[in-house]
Amino acid sequence: MADPVAGPVARSAIRPAGPVTVSGWEVDGVRSTAGLTLADLSALAKTLVRAPANGAMAGALGVPFARASRDASGALVTGSGPGEWIIIGPLGEGLAQRARLGAVAAGVAAGELITVLDLTHGRALIRLTGAAALALLAKVCAIDLADHRTPNGTALRTSVAKLTTDLVRDDQEAVPSYLLHCERSYGQYLFEALLDAGAEFGAEVDGFPGSSH
Amino acid sequence: MTASRLGPQPGEVIDRNAPLTFRWNGRAFPAYQGDTIISALAAAGERVFSRSFKYHRPRGLLTGSYLDPGCTVQVGDEPNVRGAHRLVAGGMDVRSQNTWPSLRFDVKAANQLAGAFLPAGFYYKTFIRPQRLWPAYSSVLRRFSSGGVTSADAPHGYYDKRYAHPDVLVAGGGPAGMAAAVAAARAGARVLLVEEEHQLGGHLRWGSDAERAALRSLVAEVAAGGSIEVLTDSVVLGRYDGNWVAVVQRGLPGVAERLVKARAGVLVVAAGLIERPYVFAGNDLPGVMLSTAARRLVNLYAVRPGARAVVLSANSAGDAAAADLARAGVDVAHVVDARRGEDVLRALGRGGLRGVELSGGRRVDCDLLVTATGWTAPMTLLTMAGDRPVYSPRAARFVPGAGLGSGPLADVLAVGGIAGDGSLDELVAHASATGAEAARRALGGGSAAPVGGAHGAGGAHGAGAVAVPALGVAEHPELFHGGTHGFVDFCEDVSSKDLRTAVQEGYDSAELAKRYTTATMGPTQGKLEAVNVIAILAELTGRTIAETGTTTWRPPYAPVTLGALAGRVFEPVRYSPMQPWHEAHGARPLVAGAWIRPDHYGDPEGEARRVRSAVGVIDVTPIGKLDLRGPDVPKLLNLLYVNKWSQLGVGRVRYGVMCAEDGVVLDDGVTGRLGEQHYLMSTTSSGAETVAQWAENWLQTTYPDWQVHLTPVTTSYASMNVAGPRSRDLLRRVVSGVDLDPEAFGYMQVRMGQVAGVDECVLWRIGFTGELSYELHVPASYGLHVWETLLEAGADLGAGPFGVEAQRILRLEKGHLIVGQDTDGLTRGFSAGLGWAIKLDKPDFAGQPELAWQAAAGDYPRLVALQPADGSVVPPEASQVVEGSEIAGRVTSSRMSPALGRSICLGQVAAHLAEPGTAVEILLPDGRRVAARVMEQLAHYDPEGERQRG
Repeated sequence: MADPVAGPVARSAIRPAGPVTVSGWEVDGVRSTAGLTLADLSALAKTLVRAPANGAMAGALGVPFARASRDASGALVTGSGPGEWIIIGPLGEGLAQRARLGAVAAGVAAGELITVLDLTHGRALIRLTGAAALALLAKVCAIDLADHRTPNGTALRTSVAKLTTDLVRDDQEAVPSYLLHCERSYGQYLFEALLDAGAEFGAEVDGFPGSSH
Repeated sequence: MTASRLGPQPGEVIDRNAPLTFRWNGRAFPAYQGDTIISALAAAGERVFSRSFKYHRPRGLLTGSYLDPGCTVQVGDEPNVRGAHRLVAGGMDVRSQNTWPSLRFDVKAANQLAGAFLPAGFYYKTFIRPQRLWPAYSSVLRRFSSGGVTSADAPHGYYDKRYAHPDVLVAGGGPAGMAAAVAAARAGARVLLVEEEHQLGGHLRWGSDAERAALRSLVAEVAAGGSIEVLTDSVVLGRYDGNWVAVVQRGLPGVAERLVKARAGVLVVAAGLIERPYVFAGNDLPGVMLSTAARRLVNLYAVRPGARAVVLSANSAGDAAAADLARAGVDVAHVVDARRGEDVLRALGRGGLRGVELSGGRRVDCDLLVTATGWTAPMTLLTMAGDRPVYSPRAARFVPGAGLGSGPLADVLAVGGIAGDGSLDELVAHASATGAEAARRALGGGSAAPVGGAHGAGGAHGAGAVAVPALGVAEHPELFHGGTHGFVDFCEDVSSKDLRTAVQEGYDSAELAKRYTTATMGPTQGKLEAVNVIAILAELTGRTIAETGTTTWRPPYAPVTLGALAGRVFEPVRYSPMQPWHEAHGARPLVAGAWIRPDHYGDPEGEARRVRSAVGVIDVTPIGKLDLRGPDVPKLLNLLYVNKWSQLGVGRVRYGVMCAEDGVVLDDGVTGRLGEQHYLMSTTSSGAETVAQWAENWLQTTYPDWQVHLTPVTTSYASMNVAGPRSRDLLRRVVSGVDLDPEAFGYMQVRMGQVAGVDECVLWRIGFTGELSYELHVPASYGLHVWETLLEAGADLGAGPFGVEAQRILRLEKGHLIVGQDTDGLTRGFSAGLGWAIKLDKPDFAGQPELAWQAAAGDYPRLVALQPADGSVVPPEASQVVEGSEIAGRVTSSRMSPALGRSICLGQVAAHLAEPGTAVEILLPDGRRVAARVMEQLAHYDPEGERQRG
């Protein structure tokens, strides 16, 4: 039951194995040292920006369609579609990040229609990390994920386990790693589909970074 | 260990340190790890493994490979297991298929006696009349089929799928395939090497010391290749356009079968050669086998295939088999050298081979007859790619057509025996060069030079192309059948006599004779029998083999399970943030598209009454939500909706209906204006994606200059409707930042505020249920928190949840239509009772011309409310409204109304029946007709709408 003293609790679409609360978010506190892990990062801030594909806002964001890289603040800016960006930042920073990007939008030349939306609650976000990540994804995604075709920093929207999913190659300390995000309501499904596909590689659930029991 | 097991053989694949036991027809048998089911049984002296398809003749080992038609067995719950391929495992329960009462004494073998009366086309001729009896015939005939049995209780196997993107895919892991793979990998290609058997090596595995040494070095090179992924116990099923290659991978731990969908740059076919059986009387007796089968038994499994043998040899494989047998202690009584014109007339015996009658009339007692009369090149993958193989009388087999490897077939190459003949070194050199060329082409190095094969130009190359040495074909006698009739197709029990019957009856082309006799239609799909069929047809019709032509080779190359084709079942499902609560509170799940929704919590009528009397909360998260921004949003709304939107003020909400260009109702919902250039549109739950795509399509294709950003945000929000006379009282306890006073927040208005401590919630006052109600859209991550807070805070007000069923009752009482329920794919706007909303005087909107025509025509069906005269009768939805024998409409929605205590309906009726007070007749599914009356208005309950405006 809700605890009025503690304030509202935000929850991911993916049910945690070992729930812990961090800054008003219920996240998974389990830890895995497996070679292939799946972590629910849905609590991270997500902001959608829409602006002309080749306009001033696009220039300010500095990331072209189908690429992803981190900005000065450390947020991951993803060119998720032509004229569309998704920016992923720290937990709890959803509204602040929206305000920051809104300020950027306000600063660019007038005349551009720019939309800045908080999508923190609208997307489920999963990180898949490990040497076998590619082999796992080959079971649920028809894209050629070989290094020379989809190197680190590639962003694409495709079908994963028959679900429209944004896939971002975002290696972690030279270990292959992918961020996958989809419409929030499908989050549990996608998480389970990836775990199922990863069973043969010993995939395990890892918790939200920095949290633990 | 057992009578027929030999001492250790240099090339054996069994592990003598790992003995195990399995069961065959209920009896325990010993085996070693690495044995196939059949090799273990053969080692124990067993010779009969199945009964044939039509005549139930005893059958034994013929090829000793996956193809072996006589070695199909049942393993546990799994039917049709290839016993000469499947590795035996400890405790395995193996049984013969479709034998009764036993494999040794099979009653249905009586078919043999009737054999004379079961000629080709027997079924067609016998069971065609009277046609209505066919179902009865087929149920009896089915009992005679040779398939195994499946159990309804068998656990569902885990079938799997994966994608692969090799630059070069090599189909076949014999010496040529391995050499091609190694060369391609060295040239920088990512290679997928697919081998049907459990080990790489092809025929080298049962070859001489020198051949096994060559095998070891090739295997080492493959292992060192780095970028070569090897799939053993896997087979290429088919090649489709764009080198889309289907591979089925077997024998994975925990996975029954896996379908690999590979998009290959270049396909290198290294399918090898398949030894061809010889047609003569008794050629199917257990004890008659191919030279490769005998060599596999001796060299791979250390099994002595018999005690006393006759060998019919037309080539070096036959000679090598004779040598292997002698080394294994078999008494090789006689070698019949076909190259010198010697022949076998017939094999003698009943349950198994007892002797052989040679062409000169001499009889030799023996229990083993080994034949080596030639090879079939399995052209399946090449012909699927469009190649037209040609018959080479010199080689007595088909060879690839001249176009392979160039032009439209530049991405398909052939190596090894399928491409031509040569010494091992020559074949490996050819394959290496071809593999390097395949890599060059796959990696973008150009293409289109023919690659040397039996027909290749060999030496003529494009710029930068790898020089591929030409392969010739070796001379081989054309041997297909002897002087007696025998089985041609062992799977389907088709004999050369049947082919003769077919030709005599006029089925003289290969395609017709195939369909008439079913030759080549069994599990081996022509790989053993096709060339013999063609050769015999050619002889019977006085044509050459080239003139006769082949039957069409179609996918799959090898039999495939339906499970492998189905793969994993991916069925995305959607849950609301409140799903854990619904589950914990006994909600009955309703599958609505991809969504799982609470249908009810045990008492839908009670839930409906709660909304009428107190307050209920329903999870409406699936309602589609679109965030709309930009100066031109009103233009878009005026285009999509049939009603007017230019005057909608900030803070206001309006109901709207969308029609497609044919005037048919597409969707409905409310849209609220949150800010000067900011709107939130809601759609039906099932229409969310359709509407988003519909709107995007207009924006991107017709009005790209409009300044509108449309963003689907359906699941950014958890949505819940708080409905009932106490709903305002409940919200006062949890909402802050919004004046809930009716004067301040009236009907059809929208506000932003805080609910249960959660910021940025959207509240709109609308009324689908007909009661005072508020729809809350809260940031989805807080959905469960808000839901629980509402129910907790409203406990003393009588608050409780209600599900989709209660909502359907409530809205029907109120006469609100549901798009797709009360409308269908033909219902245009005016037929949906939406005439009040359709503004034909607007400059333009989607569907306007059609709706104008509909209005002008006038004579369209109408949506009306209906009440049966007998209020206890609820006509099922889709019951017809009838006038005599004519259909005059249908009931689209019907329920028992808890508020009115009687049945209520919505229905579509013909125009002349739509006047209020008209008596109509409803035909029930059981044939009864009940009287009903057309009501004054759609709402059965509170038609003035005072409750929802209160």
